[in-house]
Parts: sequence; structure tokens; C-alpha cells
Amino acid sequence: MKKLVFIILVALYVMSCSKSSYTNDYVPVYLNVEQPDNFPEIVYNLDANPVTQAGFELGKKLFYDGKLSANDAIPCAFCHEQAFAFTHHEHTVSHGVNGGIGTRNAQPMQNLAYQSEFMWDGAATHLDFQPIIPLTSEVEMGETLGNVLNKLNADTYYRKQFPKAFEDGEINSENLLKALSQFMVMMVSSNSKYDKYVRNEDGGELTEIELNGLNNFKNKCATCHATDLFTDHSYRNNGLSINPKLNDKGRYNIFENPKDLYKFKVPSLRNVALSLPYMHDGRFSSLEAVLNFYDSGMTDNGNVDELFKREDGTLGITLSTYEKESIIAFLYTLTDNEFLTDERFSEF
Amino acid sequence: MKILKYTLGLLLSIFIASCSSDDHDTMEDLTGQTGSLILKFDNGIGNQDFIFGTTYTNFKGETYQLETLKYLISNVRLTDNQGNTYTYPEEENIFIVSEANGNAAGEIYITLNNIDAANYTHVTFGIGVDQERYASGADGQGDFLTTAQDEGMMWSWATGYRFMRLDGTYSSPTKTNAALNIHMGSVGTSVDNYKETTLAFPNEVLVREAKEPSVHIKADIAQVFDGLTSVSFDAGYAQVHTDEITTGVIATNMSGIFSVHHVHND
Repeated sequence: MKKLVFIILVALYVMSCSKSSYTNDYVPVYLNVEQPDNFPEIVYNLDANPVTQAGFELGKKLFYDGKLSANDAIPCAFCHEQAFAFTHHEHTVSHGVNGGIGTRNAQPMQNLAYQSEFMWDGAATHLDFQPIIPLTSEVEMGETLGNVLNKLNADTYYRKQFPKAFEDGEINSENLLKALSQFMVMMVSSNSKYDKYVRNEDGGELTEIELNGLNNFKNKCATCHATDLFTDHSYRNNGLSINPKLNDKGRYNIFENPKDLYKFKVPSLRNVALSLPYMHDGRFSSLEAVLNFYDSGMTDNGNVDELFKREDGTLGITLSTYEKESIIAFLYTLTDNEFLTDERFSEF
Repeated sequence: MKILKYTLGLLLSIFIASCSSDDHDTMEDLTGQTGSLILKFDNGIGNQDFIFGTTYTNFKGETYQLETLKYLISNVRLTDNQGNTYTYPEEENIFIVSEANGNAAGEIYITLNNIDAANYTHVTFGIGVDQERYASGADGQGDFLTTAQDEGMMWSWATGYRFMRLDGTYSSPTKTNAALNIHMGSVGTSVDNYKETTLAFPNEVLVREAKEPSVHIKADIAQVFDGLTSVSFDAGYAQVHTDEITTGVIATNMSGIFSVHHVHND
């Protein structure tokens, strides 16, 4: 009898212990978001959502968890594979739950903390809100925030991890989206051969053709693919023929403004050698095809950016064979293998 | 003599005591006291109550019926008779007024709890979400994003809130039962349609610990179409989503639909 009382007392003590430690799970270990010397300033407001070890881990778990989709099988990572600069490898447009087919090519995920608008048409104007679009899209993950939160609430891992990641410990949409942002802002790709070249670091020696390519790139491409993020963050119509099956009007869909017809975001070119296929609908499967298009494939769809107008009225950027070769050689120097194999961002 | 002295002293002390007690009545000390206040939203069409499925006619002679009627109210502030402003705590200061959630009288209640006791003369609120709240991302939103999504008050194809949802059909000389969808909102930082309105109370609203005063706010939905600007469904106002011009006209009209009908102080 005495023994039994003792066991009960010990059990009660242990239970009370675990309960009190449960409420004190929030012990933030802050992580630093990289600010590379050659990058513009971070625009994401880290004060409102400082990155912690537990928050980052939670965000990573969510990124790789199919529970965020209606059939529990399509995680974010389904269309964003690390080895291919977080794109949907070899898919022109992506597919999602219930065989749904999207209308656009999955964009790479990197250096998101330095950008304020997302998606091909700029439909997301805050990184925290971006995941809502694929999460709710019927052809992508087909879920609702409410359903996802119900599933997370029923999961032991999340019931433990949310209180570690956030002081209020709530499993709610605010903390769900904050955790995903914490994971995403840490995804910085800044250690390509080119980065080492501009920062005068070891391993940054460019070959003659790469240097020529950089020079040609600066003359022919860098107006739009500006800064070391390789985008001026603008939306432009680059004279792609209209695909009648998609008839994607681009940024026009946001404001219904005819001036925005067929405009899409100027994409970053980091890790571009691996993020094929190219353009908003993935119509080009190689960089050669892209440069041939800019040289001689553009069509007047009625609203093409003035930048592409040649003096004789035709559209395009004139590129010689060597200019194309050298630009491609240069673009390969933007591949950042440290980032593409960084275990912090890997599923396993 | 001594008795007189004592009597005088007693009278004097009674006088002082009664004096201070009088003072207390006229200058009620409300420090630290809180109470609640109910804002009752009552949607109507002109001088009729709003009822789902009923046919109404706009200024241009077009007829319409609605099956969804919702709007976002935020940043509720109260001004008292001393000119002080009380702002409801930011995290909770956003509400969805949905006709479908109305009581039998068609009133939708927003209950404000733990607000400073005072004699209030005005209420100010915004329709939609301001740029500052939007720019804070998920921070400070708690689970409102989930609520807004469940109520269909978020865009799906882009990130942002619908400030209002009027869904139904309309008929005109050229159209019969055509779709009518007014989903006005801001679009990122490019189109800002957040507007505020300030309404005066006909008499002071006394917020006290033991009372539950209420403010009856009438919302004349007809003025969404026939407000500062009269619009025609056929002329581009049957589908209002993100267009800078049409959403701006609807937002301005919307900010003028509210008035305080009466208040209850009990």
C-alpha cells in the first residue's frame, strides 16, 4: 500500500513537472538572417517576426508536410525541390491535388527576405501572406487555413513545437504563417562563383568566357535583371506569343488595367542553370532557347515593353552566337551549390 | 456656550461632508473603471429593412437581389465629452459584419469589452483593413486570417482582404439575372481603399462597469450604389474587384452609408 501511494505521488510529481515545463517551452534561440555585402538591404520586417531556431524548424517541417494540402499529399516542397533551386523540376506548369493543373511555372525560392512582392504577377505583397495563395488554390493544395490548423492541432509534434516557437504557443494562422516566413527568409543564396568574384573571395576566379559573358550581360540584360539579386522587381511584357490554352494575362489579373496585359515579374537569375524550364509558363527548356527567343523570337502581342524596340521597329535584343555562349557561361556562375545542398533546408 | 461650540462644530462638519459628497456626484471619478458597449449594425435599403432575396431597385432603375452581404469594420475608436479618444486594442479591433449572422431583427452585434468608462459622444471606425495593419503581415493578426478566409473575406488568387462582399444578381433593360459581385478591397500598397467614418451620437453614451449601453447603427446599402456617386451595374459596376477607379468609387460610397439611429443607456 505504501509503495502504491509512493508511486502515485511520484507520478503526480512528474506529471506536474511536465505540465509546468510545457508552459515554459518558449526559450528563443535567435538565428541571424544573412545580409551579404553585395545584396540590397533586407526588406522583410524581422522585428515583427524574429527568426528563432524552433520557429525555423517548425517552418521547415510545415514546408515539407503534406498536411497543408487537401489530400495530405502535396507539401510546398512538391513543387519546390531544393536540388533544382526549389522549382518543380522538368514541369512547364505544376500539378496539384486531384490532378489539378496550374497555369504557371513554379518559381525558385531564394533571397525572399530582400523582396517585397511575390508570384509571377506580384499577387502577394507580403511574404507572410504568400503561402495562402498555393495553399488555397484548387489546382495546387486546395486547402483552407482553418482545415490545416485543425490537422496541426491533432498532431503531437505541432502541439509541442508551436509553444517552443512562439511565446503565446497558439496554433493559429498568425503563427503558422510566421513559421513559414522564418524558414523562407533564411533561404539565402549568396555563395555562387559570381558572388565570390564580386566579393574578391577565394574560388571567385572567372574564366575569360565567363568574364566576357558578364560584360555582355551587363550591356544586354542588366537593365531588367539588375543588382546582385538580378531583378529590378518590375513587371514587364517581354513579347511572348500568347498561349491560347492558358491565355494568361499576367499582372492584368490583379488590377484589370489594360497597361498590365501580359506583364510578368522579371525573375531573379540565381541558380538559373538548374531552374529550368523558363518563362512564366515554362515554355523554354534551355537557356539557349531563351536567348534565341530574345534575339529573334519576340512577337508583338500589343503591349510589349518599349525596352525591346529596336531602332528599325522590330522587337528583340540582338545577340551574336558568341554573346549567347558567353552569357550562358556567365549564368552558370550563378549556381550556388552550397545553397542547393544546404542541409538546413533539406527534408532529410 | 460649550454646547453651541460643539453644535457649530457638528453642523460645520456635516456641511463639509455634504459638500464633498455633492462634489463627488457631479465629478464622478471613473478612473480604472471599464465597461462594455455594443455596436448594433442594422442593414437596410433606403427606408426598408434589408432582406435576402428581396428585389430592390437602384437609382438607375436596375433591380437587384443579394445573397451575400458582409463587410469588414476595424480600428474602432470612441471620443468622450472631454475630447479624449479611446482606441479598442489593435489585435481585436477588426470585425466582420455579416447579414447572415444577424438576429431576428436583422441586427449584427459587435461587442466591445473592457473599454474605459466615460461619456462618449462619437464613434469612428474604418471600413476594411488599413495599410499599417496589412504591412505587419501575419504579426498581431492572431487567428483573424482564418476567420476572414472562412467568411470568404480574403482574395484567393492574390493576398489581401475583401473589404465587402455583395453577391447576387441584377436585371436591367439589357440583362436578366446577371451576376452581381462587389468585392471591393485594397490591392497591396498600390490601391488603398481603406476609408474611415465618424458618427456623432444623438446623446452621450455612458459606459460604466454595471451597464451595457448600445449604439444602433443603420447601414443604408442602397447608398453603396447611390451614394456620393450613382453607379449603374450595366456601366461597369456589376463586377467590382480590384480596378482602381471602380473600387475607389464604391469605397467612397461605402464610407457614407452609416448613421447612428439611436443609443440605449441601460
